[in-house]
Amino acid sequence: MARSYRHAVAALAVVTALTLAGCSGGNSASTSGSSSAGGTVVVDTAFSLETADPGRNYVPTGNMVLHAIYDTLLTFQGTDSTTPQPDLATMEQNADATEFTFTITDGRTFSDGSPVTADDVVFSLQRVAGITDSKANFLMTGITVTKVDDKTVKLTTATPSLQLPAIVTNPSLSILNSKVVKEHGGTTDDSDAAKSWLDANSAGSGPYTLQSLDLTQQVVMVKNDKYDGADKAGYDKVVVRNVSQSSTQLTNLQGGDSNVAVDLSGDQVKSLGSGFTVDSAASAETLFLLINQDKNVGGVTATPAFAEAVRYALDYDKLLELTGSGSVAATGVIPPMFPGANTTGVTQDLAKSKAALAASGYNGEEVKLQFPNDTPVGGVEFTPLAERVQEQLKAAGINVTLAPAPFATEVQPYVKAQEAFSLWFWGPDYADSSSFLPFGPGQKVGLRAGWTADAAPDIAAMVTSATDATSVDARNSAFRDFAQAMQESGPFVPLVVPGINLASSDTVAGLEYNVTWTLDLRSLHAK
Amino acid sequence: MNLIVPEKLAPRRRRALLPRAWRSPLAVAGTVVALGWIVVAVLAPWIAPHDPLAQDLPRLAPPSADAIMGTDGTGRDVFSRLVYGAQTTIPLALMLVVCAMIIGTVVGALAGYLGGWVDEVLMRVTDMVMAFPTVILAMVIAASLGPSILNAVIAGIIVAWPPYARITRSLVLGLRTQNYVIAGRLLGSSPLRSLLRDVLPNIAGPVLVLASLDIGTAILLLSGLSFLGLGAQPPTAEWGTMIASAVQNTSAWWLGLFPGLAILTVVMAFNFIGDSLRDVLDPLAAREREAESPTAVSAAAAEVAP
Amino acid sequence: MSTAVRGRGAQHTLLRFLARRAVTSIILLFGIVLVTFSLTVIVPGDPVRAALGEGASSNPATVAAFREKYGLDQPVWIRFFRYVGNLLHGDLGTSMTTGRPISADLAKAVPATAEIALYAVIVSFAVAVVLGTLAAYRRGKVTDEVIRVVTLVGLSVPTFWMAILTYQLFFMQLHWVSGSGRISPTLTPPPTVTGFYTIDYMLNGDSVGFFDAVGHLALPVLVLSLFTIATLTRFVRTSVLEVLDMDYARAARAKGLSGRRVVVGYVLRGAALPILTLVGIAFGSLLSGTVLVEAVFAWPGLGTYAYNASKNLDLLAVTGVGLIVGVIYLVINLVVDVLYGVLDPRVRLS
Repeated sequence: MARSYRHAVAALAVVTALTLAGCSGGNSASTSGSSSAGGTVVVDTAFSLETADPGRNYVPTGNMVLHAIYDTLLTFQGTDSTTPQPDLATMEQNADATEFTFTITDGRTFSDGSPVTADDVVFSLQRVAGITDSKANFLMTGITVTKVDDKTVKLTTATPSLQLPAIVTNPSLSILNSKVVKEHGGTTDDSDAAKSWLDANSAGSGPYTLQSLDLTQQVVMVKNDKYDGADKAGYDKVVVRNVSQSSTQLTNLQGGDSNVAVDLSGDQVKSLGSGFTVDSAASAETLFLLINQDKNVGGVTATPAFAEAVRYALDYDKLLELTGSGSVAATGVIPPMFPGANTTGVTQDLAKSKAALAASGYNGEEVKLQFPNDTPVGGVEFTPLAERVQEQLKAAGINVTLAPAPFATEVQPYVKAQEAFSLWFWGPDYADSSSFLPFGPGQKVGLRAGWTADAAPDIAAMVTSATDATSVDARNSAFRDFAQAMQESGPFVPLVVPGINLASSDTVAGLEYNVTWTLDLRSLHAK
Repeated sequence: MNLIVPEKLAPRRRRALLPRAWRSPLAVAGTVVALGWIVVAVLAPWIAPHDPLAQDLPRLAPPSADAIMGTDGTGRDVFSRLVYGAQTTIPLALMLVVCAMIIGTVVGALAGYLGGWVDEVLMRVTDMVMAFPTVILAMVIAASLGPSILNAVIAGIIVAWPPYARITRSLVLGLRTQNYVIAGRLLGSSPLRSLLRDVLPNIAGPVLVLASLDIGTAILLLSGLSFLGLGAQPPTAEWGTMIASAVQNTSAWWLGLFPGLAILTVVMAFNFIGDSLRDVLDPLAAREREAESPTAVSAAAAEVAP
Repeated sequence: MSTAVRGRGAQHTLLRFLARRAVTSIILLFGIVLVTFSLTVIVPGDPVRAALGEGASSNPATVAAFREKYGLDQPVWIRFFRYVGNLLHGDLGTSMTTGRPISADLAKAVPATAEIALYAVIVSFAVAVVLGTLAAYRRGKVTDEVIRVVTLVGLSVPTFWMAILTYQLFFMQLHWVSGSGRISPTLTPPPTVTGFYTIDYMLNGDSVGFFDAVGHLALPVLVLSLFTIATLTRFVRTSVLEVLDMDYARAARAKGLSGRRVVVGYVLRGAALPILTLVGIAFGSLLSGTVLVEAVFAWPGLGTYAYNASKNLDLLAVTGVGLIVGVIYLVINLVVDVLYGVLDPRVRLS
């Protein structure tokens, strides 16, 4: 008895001792790593990371990481998301906006010291166009790349493309060190085999280089000593960790385990005390309701009158209440930061709503509201928003049941235009107002709501004039008309533009939100 | 585990068992709490001060006179949702256990009684299902069928029936060789009658013990699946989903504490009941009870006390 | 209890027993693969669109290339046989969400979960043996009743709730333990030998890393142990009581052996087999509990992997998880059965 008892107790004691020792050991290790000048900064975000190969990347976390490692022809400075600035090259365009000439800045080199040349630009862009199963492939649709000389590259499009400057700022169109990439199997077509090398090494010209990549856990980047650009690295090491729960990001930040949290919600940043910096900004995403106009899909609700009834039934201020700091009410399909956006949105008008509902022929039938329940946008969870919409519509006489599903399941019927009534989000493919034209009749998102060009020919015409515009003024005016018209009719009811809340401990400065790469890792530095 | 039911456990003794179960203070406490929760579930509309779906209270408010357990992220009263949550979870958990019990005992009885290749096949299937960790299997099933509380219950039934099959089979195997069973068959009763009259009443005990302990497990499984988002769907008030919302709002301690306590108390109540039932219906435990204080066992225990 | 006489005859029986169990296990394994694969086939969604996301899935060329790459354009039977064929080469396919070989993903995820499970089993076993034996010896007295209530409470606590509470208390409020994940972000993981960070750090001579990993393991192990301790304690108590009641125990004491000798010599050995079985079962239930715990502690283990895979309709990954979990469970059962067979000759001969 004694022996076994003693053994058991001894074992228990050892385990306890180790655990307690581990507690204190763990703590000191974590606090000693907090950022000091030139040290390490730890960023927590919910990963959407799939690869560190720019040519194959088209997800937000990828953009965030790649933006620190690679340069693009043009880029956005700071928080501005409307006017591309020269990065690796300066640009000139012709009057028709069909020819764009890029001249590479002198003296720029890659992380191995070799100079950036036109061959690198041509290779990188053609590679994105050539890999047909790449998610970023569509960015290069209609764009032809030609080398003019060692320092000049020309991009041509068949139709006017005033959005091309915005397109090239996307990290998917980063400029790679073509010699190195080719050495590791890189080509400009489907035979490209450089992905696995690029997932562990980088071939860029940015302020950081890739040290290690674990797709489910973290990305580690170190200072590029050979960097010769304008954005000097603020830290020796940047660690971007995958923390999928925003609540864990919050506790990590509060506990000193991390220095920056990217995905906190408005409620969560409110609970941060002193010693933390918060940067709240409206994002470029829009959360909206979709009312399918195809009778085969929507049945009795597939009418413009029903859409109008929904539009005027909602109390937008109470919906905004749920989304927290930084969020703004959506004034239309174009978010406020982009040219052409409406200045004011729709106000609740229950009388108008009831009239429209009566006119639509709706008779109390049960309507299912479908939405993805596992993809918070800007920290905003869809479920509470959907619940509130349900409550408000109930007061207006519309009987709604909720039908959430994980994104993976829900995206199918959405993309196939099979949803009668749903709550979704739309973010720009690139930072330009034209990214919101897809809401138009006969366009990508419009078709998901069964809205054909015939149903609203005047709005379809506005889309065409915006696309074909060759001057910035004409274009912006077309966007304004479009946004206005969409707000008055159509199958979409934009609800809110969620805010992004970037939070950091006070030792970190330089929090800047950008539409394309969310958090600008280049601007982070110790205070 | 070889539970051979002793012949002593004939009708004569069974009558004395029921009152004995309730002599334990634990069983009494458990029954009171369980009945209390069932009453709450039934009378929810009258007990809850607010509509569980109404969002008219201030958001994320700590407990106060208006809302004694605070409000959640959409301005709903936590106490009302807690009360209605009982209405969601408890009946479904009971249904889950009853279905699993029926399926499991039928499978086990068939396997035990018929033997041969039927036994082999049925037991292999049982093993295969048992070879899977419960939550992971339930998760995969719920994800493939689509998240809903009903699919969670189906997933739960699928993972819960094997233990009943196992226990029924071993009991039936043991009983097949009992004299009174053989005598019954010799006297001319059909296999079915023999099954119903002689075998089933003696299986009832251990199976019911398993079932009563399983209710707690069923509640934990259903709320666990709802916590993961694979069970009850919004805006239904369910304890697991309420705890999930507490994960996002860590400073609002009232969001997670009360639903957690609700689950804890209900499950504890059923576990107390099941445990006491086990004491009286499980023959192994019954032997313990017989060997009460002034016998060799506890005397020996007292002797060798460290 | 004396073990059987070892002779060539006994060893022959043992081998035959092992062979029988091995064959049954393989059949069971095939069954598991079949069942998991079928589950993924009845999934209502289209995994391609799910993986590609909104933008890319409207490009037909991208969709077609993707389908071809993952072999999704073939009929179900062909896919199944291709899968089984690849399995025999150790190739579990490529995950659609991570883009990496599933075997590589699992090679990282399984040890992460196994590490928690291992320490949880050790801790649970130690505590359960102590509590259970104590309860058995103080049978009928207050200690016994208290332990009984404690175990019942332990069985009733929802794991995910306990995880959240302990995290808030011990990390957020008291700062006694480390934050989420397996190690602090400033440390580098140890070179992989077993995949268990504690062992690998020790082998590498890195004490800072070792204690950091232990600190991160503390809460998950504590939370998972609770339920297991509750189940094991009760069983230990019953087993010990059973043995105490046996004739040979009484005989031993009648012969004048001291109490402690009785317990060591007979009680624990007698109770060892049933306890062993339960440890095996406990390991399986621990794998279950990890899903809920890993979500709260951001632990990159099998539970998180399985959850993401089933949510994202990553069919091959889900099948892979099912397979691995089935294998682990079968191996544990096999080991337990073998130990049974070695220690208890009656089983071998049945």
